[in-house]
Formats: sequence, C-alpha cells, structure tokens
Amino acid sequence: MNPLLWMLLDLLLAAMLLGLGWAAVATRDLKRGLALFIAFGLLLALAWARLRAPDLALAEAAIGAGIAGALLLAALRSEPQDGQPAAAPSRVFLLTLNLFSVLLAVAIAWALLSALAMGDGVRLAQAVTEHLSQSGVSNPVTAVLLNFRAYDTLLELAVILSAVLGVLALGPARPGYRLPGPVLYGLIRWLVPLLIVTGGYLLWVGAHAPGGAFQAGATLAAAAVLLRLGGVDAAGLPAAVVSRWLLAAGLLAFLAVGLLVTAFGYGFVQYPPDLAAGLILVIESAATLSIAVALALAYIGGWPSRRAQSGSLHTHTTEGGTH
Amino acid sequence: MNNLLALPVVLPLLGSLLALVWPRRADWAGLGASVAAFVAAGHIGAEVMRNATLELAVGGWAPGLGIALRADGLSASLLLMSTLVALAAGLYATTYFAEAQKRADFWPLWLLMITALHALLLSGDLFNIYVTLELLGLAAVALAALGGSRAALQAAVRYLTVGLLGSLAFLTGVGLIYAGYGTLDMVMLAGRVDAEPATWVALALMTAGLLIKSALFPMHFWLPSAHANAPAPVSAALSALVVKAAFYLVLRLWLDVFDVALSQASAGLLGLLGASAVIWGSWQAYRAERLKLLAAYSTVAQIGYLFLFIPVLLATEPGEARDLLFGALVLFALTHGFSKSAFFLGAGVILHRAGHDRIAELGGTARALPVTTFVLALAGIALIGLPPSGTFLAKWQLMTSAIAAGQWLWIPVIAIGTLLAGAYVFRVLGHAFGPGEGVGPSLAWARAELPALLLALVATAVLGLGAAQVWTMVVPGSNAEGVSL
Repeated sequence: MNPLLWMLLDLLLAAMLLGLGWAAVATRDLKRGLALFIAFGLLLALAWARLRAPDLALAEAAIGAGIAGALLLAALRSEPQDGQPAAAPSRVFLLTLNLFSVLLAVAIAWALLSALAMGDGVRLAQAVTEHLSQSGVSNPVTAVLLNFRAYDTLLELAVILSAVLGVLALGPARPGYRLPGPVLYGLIRWLVPLLIVTGGYLLWVGAHAPGGAFQAGATLAAAAVLLRLGGVDAAGLPAAVVSRWLLAAGLLAFLAVGLLVTAFGYGFVQYPPDLAAGLILVIESAATLSIAVALALAYIGGWPSRRAQSGSLHTHTTEGGTH
Repeated sequence: MNNLLALPVVLPLLGSLLALVWPRRADWAGLGASVAAFVAAGHIGAEVMRNATLELAVGGWAPGLGIALRADGLSASLLLMSTLVALAAGLYATTYFAEAQKRADFWPLWLLMITALHALLLSGDLFNIYVTLELLGLAAVALAALGGSRAALQAAVRYLTVGLLGSLAFLTGVGLIYAGYGTLDMVMLAGRVDAEPATWVALALMTAGLLIKSALFPMHFWLPSAHANAPAPVSAALSALVVKAAFYLVLRLWLDVFDVALSQASAGLLGLLGASAVIWGSWQAYRAERLKLLAAYSTVAQIGYLFLFIPVLLATEPGEARDLLFGALVLFALTHGFSKSAFFLGAGVILHRAGHDRIAELGGTARALPVTTFVLALAGIALIGLPPSGTFLAKWQLMTSAIAAGQWLWIPVIAIGTLLAGAYVFRVLGHAFGPGEGVGPSLAWARAELPALLLALVATAVLGLGAAQVWTMVVPGSNAEGVSL
C-alpha cells in the first residue's frame, strides 16, 4: 500500500478514536457508553498495531476491550435497574472541569514534546537488545516482563490477586444466566475449545513472538465467560479448594523460582542463563492459569455456589486441560 | 547482591498465598509472616546502621535495565515501624474478627497490603513504585470495604476512585520522566535531572497524585469516611502506614531526586497546605462526635505537620542543622504511626465492648476498660506532643529550625494545632473518666488490649527516650549527642 493511503488510514483511526472516546464519555446512558468504550478499545488495539507494538495490541484487544468490557457489562447487569439516569451536574461545574482538563492536556502535551526533544530517543531499548541473548527468550517484550523487570510482573500478579480477593470478600456470586438458545449453544461448543487452544498457543509463542501469560490468561478467561453465558454457573472452574490453588499458582511459582535460585548463589529472581528459558516457561504457564482463574472469578463476582459446580454444558472442558 | 532486601516483600506475599490456599490456617500464616517480616526488617535496620545504604539489583540486572531495591535510614526506619504496627494490628485482628470466614478474607488482603507497603519503601525505580501504589491502593480499598456496611462500601468506592486518580497522575509523570531522561532508576535520574519544562510538569503531576493519596488538605475529603468506617485494625494501618507511604514518596522525590528543579515558592505552597491541614484537621477532630472520626481527622492534621517540615528543610543549608531537622521529621512520622495505630486499636476495643464509639456516651470507660483508657491517654500524649513523646522533640526541633530559617508563619500554626490537639484528646479523656455505665463491667482483655498498649508505649516512651537512635539511623555518621532537649 502506498504511504499516502497509510497516512489517510492513520488519520481516520485517530479521528475515530477521538470521536469514540468523546462519545463514550459524553453519553449519560451507561450501557451506550460501555458499548462505545469497547469499540474504543478495539480501535486502540489497531492503533497499537499501527505503532508496531503488536504485544500491546494483543493485550489491549484481549484485556482492555475484551475482558474489561465483559466485566463492565457484568457490573452493569447487577446495577439496580430503576431506569433513572444520573442527575446532570451543574453547568458551572462541568465548565470548570472541562477547562481544567484542557489546560492539563495542553501542559502534558507541551511537556511531552519538550521531553521527546531532550533524549536521543533510544532510551532503554538498546540495553534490552544488547542483553536479549542472555534473557532466555527472543521476544524483547517477554524478556523485559519476565526477566529484566520480572519483579514488576511479580507485583502486577499480586495486583490482579488483590483485586479478585476484594471482589470475593464482598460476598457470594450472583446467579448465572439462563440456558442459551441453539445458536449460542452451538457457538459456545465451537468457541470454547478453540479459545483454550489459542490460549495455549499464545502462552507458548510468547517466548519469541507477541503473546505471553497475560494475553493467554485473558483468552482462557474469555472461554470461561462464554461458558457462563451459556448457562454454566461455575464457568468451567473446578471446586473452590482447587480454584484457590490455581489462583495462587502464578505467584507461588514465581516466588519458588525466585527463591530457589538464591540457594545456588544467585540473586533473588536471577535466573541461571542456560535455565532461563525453562524457568520463564514454568512461571508463565502458572501465571496464565492464575490470571485466567482470577479474571473468571471476577466475572462471576464471587465463588460459584456448590450446586453450580456440577452444572455442565454436556462436555465442557476446564482450563486445567491446556497444560 | 543483598537478598536480605527482598525478604520484607517476599515474606508477607508468601504468607498471603498460604493464607489463601489454607483458609483454616490463615491466622498462623498471617502472624508467622508478620513476625518473619519484622525480623527481616530488624536485620535491615541493623545493616543500615552499619553500612548506611543497602542495594539489591533484582534479577542481577544493573539498575536502569533492571530494578534496584534500596534501603537507607529513612526507608529502613519506616520499614521497621510498618512491620511492628502490622504485627500488632494483625494480632488484634485475630480477636476483632470473631468469624473464621472474615479472618480468612482478611489475612490474604492484609498481607498483600503489607507487601505493597514494604515494596514501596524499598523500591528504587519509579515505574516499580507505580506498581506498588496500585497494589497498595487496591488492597487498602478491599480491606476498607471488609466491614460490609453501606457507609463502608460507599467510602471504599470513593477511596478507590480518588486513589486511581492519584495513581494515574503519578503514572503520567513517570511517563514524561522516562520520555525525557530515558531512565526510571531514581539514583540515575537524580544525576541527570535538570530544571526544564518536562521536569516541572512531571514533578507537578507526580506530586499532585501523591498529595491526593496522602490526603493533604484540601485533598483530604475522602479520608475521614474511609478511615472511620473501616474495621479497626484496618483503620490503624490506613492512618498510620498507607497515608504515610505517599508522604514518604513526596519526601524522596523532593529531597533526593528533583531537588535541583525545585523553588522555595513551591515548597512554601506545600507548607501552606500543610498549615491549613493542621488547623482544619484539628478543628474537625475537636468537633467530631465519634471516636474513630476524631482519630481520622487527627490524621489529616498530623499529615499537615509532616508537610510543614518540607519548606523549612529546603530553606536549611545542608549540614548538621538540616540533619537534625530531617531526623526530627522521621521521628514525627514514626511517633504518629505508632500513636495513631494504638488510638485506632483502642477505639476498636471500645467499639466492640460498648457497641458504639460516640464520644459523649463514653462515661465509665476508665473503670470498665482501664488498660484501653490508658492507651488512649498515652497515644493522646504523643498526638498532642507532650514530653516524653517523640512528637515533643520533633515539634521543638521544627520550631527551632523554622525560626533559624526565618519562617515565622509556622510557629503560630504549630501552637494552635497543639492546643486544639490538647482539646480533642482531653475531651475524649474527660468523657472516658466521667460517670456512666455505657461500656459495661470492668474487664481486662489481654489479647485485644495488649497490642494497642505496646504501640502506645513505643510512641510515648520508647521513641521519646530513645530518640537519639532515630537520628543515628537516619543521618549517617551523625553524633547523637548533638540532639538537645
């Protein structure tokens, strides 16, 4: 395609992003705003792809638009339906807020332009490329997330865990959905196995191409969401005792590896170079399961009831089957 | 390589996971992890006293590419306070939550919050600090909602929204810094930073985010309802530790990283906000009708004092005078941490016994709960700043330095704040010693009252009499004899 067409496409993308973002914020109808937000997330994924950040594009599509959208819709469903839209804030308040936001945006844009002019533009990318061969993987994003800055990822897994534990502490799950019609039923029977295989593929491919635990976990969680929509109250999750272990597995594996290496004279989370690839795969596999279970539990809104765990979609598969 | 530095983060995290997978053993996992973290923090404190600064390059990657953990006197002393307060409040929580189910919900979240606090105090990397802020905020909100009442849930949702706003402002600032200087490591950054537009906007955004999180007036509006409606052990940690973590970051950024880009005017603005917080918070505490609300407003005021130190510190020439003042600041933060957590635990005991915490109906408390009344009095001494508490020394040093720096304005603020603090503490004690049967018959309740008593004793006696140790820890090579009463 010639550069002019790309340019036009980019401009269109940028304009649509701005338009969708504005529309999502401006509407007072929550459901409408949510639909616009999901569309916004998908377009944002395209924008990342255009910026040649395919890892971010995948994460944005799977987590930002997909799972976050599902979670928001689930939250909206449990909102009391009294039909009254929220009262409009006063004009003066809105005007002040908008003025402040515009000023802030101008200040940030000005600072960003002057910041970009300050450095050579390379920043840490060069250091990552130089050390990539010692990281055990060839995808630089995975190398940063699971090796150079593995400690960040460890704490990010804890962030997900704390969010889910907060949801679980608030009380039991809401009742699930009714049994689906034949079309949805057929779709779910096809999609769930496909999503599980895709999740496994994303996990494996993360070592050398875009993918990894977060995208894989989100894909598996999408399978759980579909099962729940199909009337399986437990969304394919195993019993609570097992689910607790799965929820903790990612962090437990991370800590176990991080501490085990110190027994051999290495530092905390310092992988021996020739074992790095294997250790990263172990951590990512466990993290994928934990993320999937965490997102599924958040979508359900609590521990599924005991009765729900026996429900099934004839031959539904659990997430545990991927590994 | 100093793996010791990872332990205060790893141990509570491990405890949290164990409490999650063995809900019936949650108490043991939680208390065990708390004790272990305290021991690790003690080792780090001892090492810092010997070697001044510790560093661990996590994963063996040099800071810049990787993430560095660092401990100096400031972070080590706050770390020690955090582990002690967490241990005492956790011990109290085992009696506060009567149902095993509640404790199984409490422990994993509580330990995640402690993990985040310790990770924040030890982190040397700006993006990593953002991650710790998110973990801290989410765990704190979930804990604040544990009470389950409508008021607690509403306060928690507001706390969440405000906290996310603060994190996002901080993250935007971090993004600008990385775009401009190409590093996230704070020590490397301190060597590169210049007074430029990008730096100012980034610092303003990061500071604004942290001011929201530290509830500095007028961004304190979310704190009283969130802290007053949380379960008592959680309130203790929120007021004593979580708010202070954000203040610690302001201090770290302003004094160690961005000092070249600062003007005295911006520090003066922080001081003015702090002064307003002292007056407004103390006044609202005096007017509060409930004990926990009083304690929450008192936190707003005490955070104000901490911000008063900043303009005076920046106006003082580096050297012995500044070291003395810096030590006083740390002493103030530590004393408030211990006294406020003791006060909240004491309020929790009263709330449990009496079924309410309305100050006007506290008559008979002194007879029914002598130990807890003693705790409130001890903690009150530290909140007012009477000798022998650490607050007395710290306020004295602050006033001396403010006069030396010619910043007279802060003197009447400190005086008014102290008088108001006296008024609100003695209002509580006056009712507690008054006649009445509201609280029931006399009883000593060791497991519930002892943690609060220990914290109050540390605040009033240990930190006051042993204050010289704080200076030795915070100021490398300082001469403790130089501290005069």
